[in-house]
Amino acid sequence: MNTQALGVEHYVAGMRAALDDLPPHEVAEIMEDVEAHLAELSTELGEDETIERRLGPPEQYARELRQAAGYPPRTERVPVTVKQALLTRPRAAAWGLAAATGITLLAGAAALREPAILLLPAVILVLSLALVQDRGPQQAEVMNLRETVKLKEWLTPQEGTPAERALTYLRSLQPAWWLVRAGLLGLGAVLLAGRDLLGFLALAAVAVVSVFAAPRAKTDRRWLWFTLPVSALAVGVLFSVIDVAADQLRFGGPARQSYSAPVVREYENIYVRDENGKLLTNVLLYDQDGQPINASDRYYGCQNRGEEPMIPANQYPRPKIDYENGVCYTVTPSADTPSSAPSSVSSSAPPPSSGAPSSSVTPTSVPPSK
Amino acid sequence: MDTSQLLKGVLDLAVLAVLRKDDGYGYDVVRRLRAGGLNDVGDASVYGTLRRLYNAGMLTSYVVPSEEGPHRKYYSINEPGRVRLAESRDTWRSFASTLDGLLGEVA
Repeated sequence: MNTQALGVEHYVAGMRAALDDLPPHEVAEIMEDVEAHLAELSTELGEDETIERRLGPPEQYARELRQAAGYPPRTERVPVTVKQALLTRPRAAAWGLAAATGITLLAGAAALREPAILLLPAVILVLSLALVQDRGPQQAEVMNLRETVKLKEWLTPQEGTPAERALTYLRSLQPAWWLVRAGLLGLGAVLLAGRDLLGFLALAAVAVVSVFAAPRAKTDRRWLWFTLPVSALAVGVLFSVIDVAADQLRFGGPARQSYSAPVVREYENIYVRDENGKLLTNVLLYDQDGQPINASDRYYGCQNRGEEPMIPANQYPRPKIDYENGVCYTVTPSADTPSSAPSSVSSSAPPPSSGAPSSSVTPTSVPPSK
Repeated sequence: MDTSQLLKGVLDLAVLAVLRKDDGYGYDVVRRLRAGGLNDVGDASVYGTLRRLYNAGMLTSYVVPSEEGPHRKYYSINEPGRVRLAESRDTWRSFASTLDGLLGEVA
C-alpha cells in the first residue's frame, strides 16, 4: 500500500508537469478528478501491478485527457518545474494560514481585552486565501506541499495505537466540537458585549458562521482559512476565561473579603482616651490571650539611638519619630495628637509630628482641646 | 475497424447518457461505460470528456468528502446537458440509420 501511495504521488507529479501550461484553476479541477481516480485504482491493483502499467505513463494520460477535454496541445514552454520555485503561491498561502492561526492562538487571550488585535491575522488570512482562491476546493497544491505532508504524517498516529483509536473517537464527535467551538466564541462575544459593541457583533457573527463553515470545510478546503484560526480563537477565549476565573478565585470572591479586611487596615498609632476625652498615656495593650498587641517595627522608635530608653512595643501612644539632619528623634505624644471627636481617634489620621525634637519619652498629659 | 476512432465522436453522447439517471464521479462513469459494453474506453478520455462537458455548461459538479483518500467529485447532468443529449441522440439515430441504409445496399 505504501509503495502504491508512492506510485500515486509520482504519477500525480508527472501529470501536473504535463498540464502546467493550462490555467491553474483548470489544472486544480482536473487533478481533483485524477487524484481520486488514482487513489481508487491503487486499491484495485494486484501485487505486481503498477498504475503506469494500467494507465500508461502520466504524459500519455495527460495527452489523452487534453485531447478529449478539448484543451490545446501541450505548448513547448520549457517547464519551470525543473527547479521547483521555492516560494510558490500555495506555499505562501499555507504559511499565511499557519501564521494567522498562530497569531490568533497567542493573541486569543488578549482578544477579549482588545479585539482589534485580531485584525492582523484577519488581514493575513484574506491575503493568503486570495493567493489560492482560484486553485479549486481541494487545494491539492497546498495539501501536497512537503511541509503539509510532513504535518499530516506527524498528526496521524500509527494505526492500532491507543493514540490512533483516541483520535478516531474524537473525530467521531466532530459535530459536538463544532458546537463547543461556537459556544466558546459566543461566550467570548458575551464577555465583550458590555465594553465593545463592534467586537461583540464581530465575534458573535464568527461564532454563527463557524457552525455553518465546519461541514463545508470538509468538501471545500478553502474554508480552512476560516475554521482553523477560528478554532485557535476559541482556544484563546477558553484560556482567557480560565485566567479570569482563576484571578477571581485568588483575589476576589467573598472568601477574601471576610478574611483580609481587618488585616489590611494598618494603624500608625493608637490614642486612648478616657470617657472625658482625656488622653491616656503609657497604655499597654493585650489581646484576649494575654499577648501584647505590638506596634510594627517601623513605629517602634529610633533603632539607632541606644541611649534612648526602650519602651515596650505594646505601649501606646507610640512616640513620634522625627528626623532632623539625618538624626532620628522620638517625639513625645502631646496635646497636638488627634483632637477630633474622642471616640473616633482610631479612624482619623494622626497629625503631622511637630515641635522640637525631644530625647525624652516621658509622656506629658495634656487635656485635649475640646 | 478500430472502434476507438468511432468512439471519439460519440463519447460526449455516451457520457451524457450514463449520467442521465444518476450522478457519478469520474471512475463511476468509466465503469458504467464499460459495463454498457464500451470496453475500450480510456480512463483519460472519459475524464477529459467530463471536463469538456462541464466547461461547456452541460454538467454541474459537487464534492463528496471521504475519510479515506481524496474527496470524490460527482458530476450531474443539468438542463442544457439534457437538451444536448436529446439532440445528439436524434443526430446519432438518423446517422446510424443512414449508415445502415448504405450498408444494406452493400450487403
